[in-house]
Amino acid sequence: VITIALPKGRLQRPVLERFAAAGVKPEEDPATTRRLIIPAGAQARFVVLKDADVPLYVERGAAELGVCGLDQVLESGADLLTPIDFGFGKCRLCLAAPRGSKAAQQTALADASELGRSLRVASKYPRLTAKWFARRGVPVDLVHLSGSVELAAVSGLTDAIVDLVETGRTLEENGLVIVDDLLQVSARLVVNRAAYRLKVEELLPLLEALG
Amino acid sequence: VPDDAQQPAAPLPGTQDLLFEAARRLRRCEAALCRVFEAAQYSEVIPPAIESADVFGPEAFRALDRGGRLVALRADFTAQVARIAATRLAGVSPLRLYYRGSIVRRVEGGSVYERLQAGCELVGAPGPDADAELLSLASAALAALGLRSARISVGTMGYFAALIRAAGCSPRLAGALSDAVDRKDLPMLRGLCEREVPPGKARDAILVLAQPPRPQRQAAQLLAQAEALAPSDDARAALQRIAATLALAKGDLEVDLGEVRGLGYYTGIVFNLYAQGAPRPVGGGGRYDSLLGRFGDPRPAVGFSLDLDALAPLAELS
Repeated sequence: VITIALPKGRLQRPVLERFAAAGVKPEEDPATTRRLIIPAGAQARFVVLKDADVPLYVERGAAELGVCGLDQVLESGADLLTPIDFGFGKCRLCLAAPRGSKAAQQTALADASELGRSLRVASKYPRLTAKWFARRGVPVDLVHLSGSVELAAVSGLTDAIVDLVETGRTLEENGLVIVDDLLQVSARLVVNRAAYRLKVEELLPLLEALG
Repeated sequence: VPDDAQQPAAPLPGTQDLLFEAARRLRRCEAALCRVFEAAQYSEVIPPAIESADVFGPEAFRALDRGGRLVALRADFTAQVARIAATRLAGVSPLRLYYRGSIVRRVEGGSVYERLQAGCELVGAPGPDADAELLSLASAALAALGLRSARISVGTMGYFAALIRAAGCSPRLAGALSDAVDRKDLPMLRGLCEREVPPGKARDAILVLAQPPRPQRQAAQLLAQAEALAPSDDARAALQRIAATLALAKGDLEVDLGEVRGLGYYTGIVFNLYAQGAPRPVGGGGRYDSLLGRFGDPRPAVGFSLDLDALAPLAELS
């Protein structure tokens, strides 16, 4: 049996459509059932998770494969195979700051000393944010938040934020502008390294049908 | 939850105490492996747990000694065995050596982990027969632990290196390509190739590296397909080499030209071991023909190591 880690939220419906097209259909609708594990025929089953937890389930082998955004794959640091880009769930991970502020100017990043202290940045993505600034040699004071990240920059908790941007409307309504892009995100298939080798005969037809 | 400082008695994360049955299991696995290695005419060496830091890579846990010399806890047996072979055993070929013990490495974020390993090195043997001997020995080692449905995935660093040379890639691009191949990330690989690699045979050959592994019986087909795309004599030679090795080796083998992950010093064949029940490789190895040269006695060598912490809970010893 192949266990598939299915994300809750906006990715779930398009993911289920792709698996259904590949012949794998859950026996109950994951959006309405209370079951945590949903069989899908004799060969497969779905486990329903928050998308941030998908990489760890797959890395540790509790699921052979799963689907989540590239942002979650990289933020988790999990050691996974990522053979398919589904192309949906598209968005960008962006650095944004209040319009007209010092942090909103690209030059301020290159020369953060203008602020007289380290740039303060809030994010749900501490690993990706820290890496991106480290590569540019800019010291940051990182604030790890779990939600409402825009509020950090609007309320003055931080100078800037790093967050997912789909349409940019939320940023605009809160007077924030995009300073730079960190990552182009879309939904990725993630596969456990050992399962890919040991169950290659079972997995390959499914991967081909999905890809 | 009390503060960490009030709980000094627990082992560090990434390390563990093995008690009673767990300790017994581990020692029995170790003994079973030693019997396999001894039967194949390998002799044990016991290198020190700490030595000069320049024997190891940046993953070693280092400290300054009183004389201001940088020393490190053992991070890798292979480098130590290479040092021994290149110094006290210089010129003695072939050398069949095995070891067991723990390694300590740093991880991203500053913490450390410890692993118990056992492994073999064959020094001074340059041919495909030596590569095959190690593959067969690794396979016999897994069988001695009673692991059914374990698999060895075999690739070659030489082929990837030849493609990178033929395509004239910068070290940065080579690293990005290697990462994409290692993750089987075909979309990323395609993007990198289209943007940064000049069109040609080398690019076409790099693009097929992310394809799935094939069982040994289909190896000929896969290697013939790769040879048709091979852009240089180096690349062809690497493919012929792996074909010759696979013809001689015994075990449940799988060819994967995208198997490019390994320690930085691998130059030829590279392989990873997978066992049912373990979510990560349980061992790996490869050929390292330039490592002994660092210690003044350039000689070819090939070896592998097994992760005993991962294998012991899975082993079914009679």
